[in-house]
Amino acid sequence: MMTSLFSYLIPLFLFFSNVFASDYHEQLNLKPLPQSSLLASFNFRSNTTLSQFEAHNFRYFPRSLGQILQHVGTRELHLRFSLGRWDAESWGARPWDGTKEGGTGVELWAWLEADTEEQADLKWLTLTNALSGLFCASLNFIDETRTTRPVMSFQPEGDHGSNLDNLHLLHGVLPHEIVCTENLTPFLKLLPCKGKAGISSLLDGHKLFDASWQSMAIDVRPVCAQGQECVLQIEQTIDMVLDIERSKRPRAQGNPIPRPPPGHDLKCNATKPYHSGDTCFPSDFAEGEDWSIDQIFGKFLRGTCPLTDPNVPAVCIHVPERRDIFTTANAVELKNSDGLSRCYQVPSEGEFSMILPRMSREGDNAKTIADETVEPETPLLYAERSLTGHGQERGGVQSILTNPSPDTAVEFVYMESLPWFMRIYLHTLKARVEGAPGVKDDIIEEIYYRPALDRARGTQLELRVRIPPASIVFLTYDFEKSILRYTEYPPDANRGFDVAASIITILPSTSPGAPPLRLRISNLRTTSLLLSLPTPDFSMPYNVIIFTSTAIALAFGGLYNLLVRRFVGADESPEGAGGLKGKLAFLVKRLSAKFKGAKVRTE
Amino acid sequence: MAGLYGAAAALRLALFTFFPALPDLLTSRVEVSTPVTSFKRLQEGLFLYNHNVSPYDGGVYHQAPLLLPLFSLLPDASAYPFFTYLLYILVDIATADALYKIAESGEAAASKLFTSARKDRRWGGYVVAAIFLFNPFTIATCLGRPTNVFTTCAILHAVAKAISGNPLTSMLALSFASYLSMYPVLLLPPLILLAYDRQNPANRITSLAQFTGITLLTIAASLSTLFTASWLLTGSWEFFASTYGIQLTLNDLTPNVGLWWYFFIEMFDSFRSFFLGVFWLHLSSYVGGLSIRIRSQPLAAITILLGIFSIFKPYPSIADISLSLAVVPLYRHVFPLMRYTFFAASTILYSAFLGPAFYYLWIYAGSGNANFFYAITLVWSLGQSLLVSDLTFAVLRDEWEVERPEMVGKEIRQI
Repeated sequence: MMTSLFSYLIPLFLFFSNVFASDYHEQLNLKPLPQSSLLASFNFRSNTTLSQFEAHNFRYFPRSLGQILQHVGTRELHLRFSLGRWDAESWGARPWDGTKEGGTGVELWAWLEADTEEQADLKWLTLTNALSGLFCASLNFIDETRTTRPVMSFQPEGDHGSNLDNLHLLHGVLPHEIVCTENLTPFLKLLPCKGKAGISSLLDGHKLFDASWQSMAIDVRPVCAQGQECVLQIEQTIDMVLDIERSKRPRAQGNPIPRPPPGHDLKCNATKPYHSGDTCFPSDFAEGEDWSIDQIFGKFLRGTCPLTDPNVPAVCIHVPERRDIFTTANAVELKNSDGLSRCYQVPSEGEFSMILPRMSREGDNAKTIADETVEPETPLLYAERSLTGHGQERGGVQSILTNPSPDTAVEFVYMESLPWFMRIYLHTLKARVEGAPGVKDDIIEEIYYRPALDRARGTQLELRVRIPPASIVFLTYDFEKSILRYTEYPPDANRGFDVAASIITILPSTSPGAPPLRLRISNLRTTSLLLSLPTPDFSMPYNVIIFTSTAIALAFGGLYNLLVRRFVGADESPEGAGGLKGKLAFLVKRLSAKFKGAKVRTE
Repeated sequence: MAGLYGAAAALRLALFTFFPALPDLLTSRVEVSTPVTSFKRLQEGLFLYNHNVSPYDGGVYHQAPLLLPLFSLLPDASAYPFFTYLLYILVDIATADALYKIAESGEAAASKLFTSARKDRRWGGYVVAAIFLFNPFTIATCLGRPTNVFTTCAILHAVAKAISGNPLTSMLALSFASYLSMYPVLLLPPLILLAYDRQNPANRITSLAQFTGITLLTIAASLSTLFTASWLLTGSWEFFASTYGIQLTLNDLTPNVGLWWYFFIEMFDSFRSFFLGVFWLHLSSYVGGLSIRIRSQPLAAITILLGIFSIFKPYPSIADISLSLAVVPLYRHVFPLMRYTFFAASTILYSAFLGPAFYYLWIYAGSGNANFFYAITLVWSLGQSLLVSDLTFAVLRDEWEVERPEMVGKEIRQI
């Protein structure tokens, strides 16, 4: 009886959901990258009108998050969980222009509505603590030393109208946080289909956190379209770069220890003269891979989420037109006119997979690498950052920023938020340009610097830099490593301290003829650094207290004795003559006197 | 005199010129530069000051505000270091000149209330100034350019002026020293006694209380002028917490040759403020005792106090021991009464050589840990405190032998 009632209800529900269809959509974008990697971008987006949101009428918007945002007056929120390093040299430009990734660890920034800075700090504290509970991450460790108020780097993405004045931007990073399954589960729970159906059914902690690079993002922002009511939009994104070879390995049954593949499975370069049954020169990645969705993700895509906009194809893949792709039954292929991508409408029931077979490099119909992957786009800027110097007393930071473009200059904001125990010397900040001849070194156009205060706040450094075409900029500065109180070190003190990634915001080009890519803000983050500080001996507190106190007592006691006691000649002393002999004689005399006295009393 | 000063200046200039890397190497040594005196931090403060960022709104610069305009008058130290070198050489020579005057006055052996029986066995100003100027610690300090050379100079000038009967100038110099480094304010009681004893007989104030009142007023007036000037310069009172507060709370635990840093690294959090109080109380406890006990020789009290400060200050460096070793030769006449000269001297030398080695083992080689350097600072402090208490013993015995001339050369004891 119950089932039949539901079966009547479901079409009704589906009809109802179609009315609000544009309020939720999800899409998976796959993009094979060079070197046998695959970029998978999951995007989930839902809208709710601001009036509904304020009336506590949550529909696609997750209630748990919505209540937190309402409680602390958050107008815009960005939360990132990232792991690994994007290899820009081989993978090219970042997905979403880098706007949906964070530095290694957890990164959070938000615009809070508050009248004063103190109130904003209090709200920020509440927000981080609440999000910490919601996402099972140590966000509550974003204290005042890890919070900054960026000045040039971040601009609100949403439409805030005129009330931007009492919005406070706060930004915090936890570079040491290890992102893992416990963060994915709450992330999936925010989705309308909770990872049970649709593309989110592919997400699995084992694969996601095994990726070479991954970034989970949550963005909440108000969006006002012309002539419509403003909506609050929540966009959840997961980007990951999977190593195809590694992901295809079946999960070890009952034995989690990885084992080397057997000899007959090795891919060898047979053109080498020494190639034989027992020697193998590994073939390079150009050989091409065959893979399918179920191999890569470990499971099939389970239907579509019934709430999603049916007009948005669920899965898209960016490969040249000549690439062979097979899918499971009932999927509809939609080819993009540019010949570089195609999308698939996934049947709403049943399992879906996509198979990309190995394409022969030999024979009549030989295919090349260009038939398998789209050439990655060149990024606007390459950035890397490293520590220089040795020893645990001082060091330097060197950032190498490369503009690969032969003709256009790039203007960007470089932001560092450093821990307070890394005392930087701003007067040592130098920028050196290499490459373009005749370029002067004064390419730093503006500096915003807020020095660190011990145990109270970290360093915030923002530089607006214009880097000429086809040149390399070396930004260097010195710093000193502080020694901390022994209780301030983490349990693994000699591992070092993580320093958050520097955030590079490439400003949109102002020149009129710039390509569309240059008209948007794009981001870039360097890797985080590991800073080793000098350490005290952690087993010593009692010993040090005792030794130092003894040294002080010796000095004080010696002087005190000299100051309060009187000089007499050695022979005038009431204790008899000086020296050991005299002292002994005196002692004997006194002892015998005592004994005599005692005897007298006992008698 | 000109020859001596010329030779000292030439030696320093030669070191600056022929070893151009030496100043920066010494500046980066923890033995020379402390968080409150470091030249590199001064550069950073100067950079921020010249770019309109308050240097006190950060954890790097902890030095007095008036140093900023002084150094911003000089050409940029990284581009034209010569002028900075010249300034530090001049300060060293001014210090030596004050020392020369102190030694020539003979105050050490014959003060107003006491004349030593050995007063003829003393070194002249020339020798004392030469010992200061050619002391390797002084030379290393000059090359490392910490800002406490200005404090050293001000303290010695305060003493010299007090001896020459200019109590007001002396108090001005001392308030300048206190303004720069705070701890010299503890020298006030013996300095007031010294100035009181050495007043110009023409316009002498006989009441000690009245004299103390006047000098205290002078000090208060000059300090408040300096503070107001600093306030006008930086626009806020932030510099108090950053300059003097850090010496009271020891927020910056950068290693140095003193006893505080490792103690407060290892201190349990709940006892930190208690022991900070105890350490400061200990440091200031000597002032009263010495001023009363050696009332007849205020310069001796100052000498002993300078030795104590160079051991027990929150951020001591070799600049402090160069000051304390500068005044010790004034007591040449009591050297024969000292008992552990060899032991103290060899302990100091031993730790002076082993200290940098152990620091290297800890920080760079990684083959030693923090205890290595801590142990050597402990030995260094013990050696110095031995020297100080031995000098105290000699001074007191010298005083006693004036009362009991028959006891000269005899074995004595204390009861």
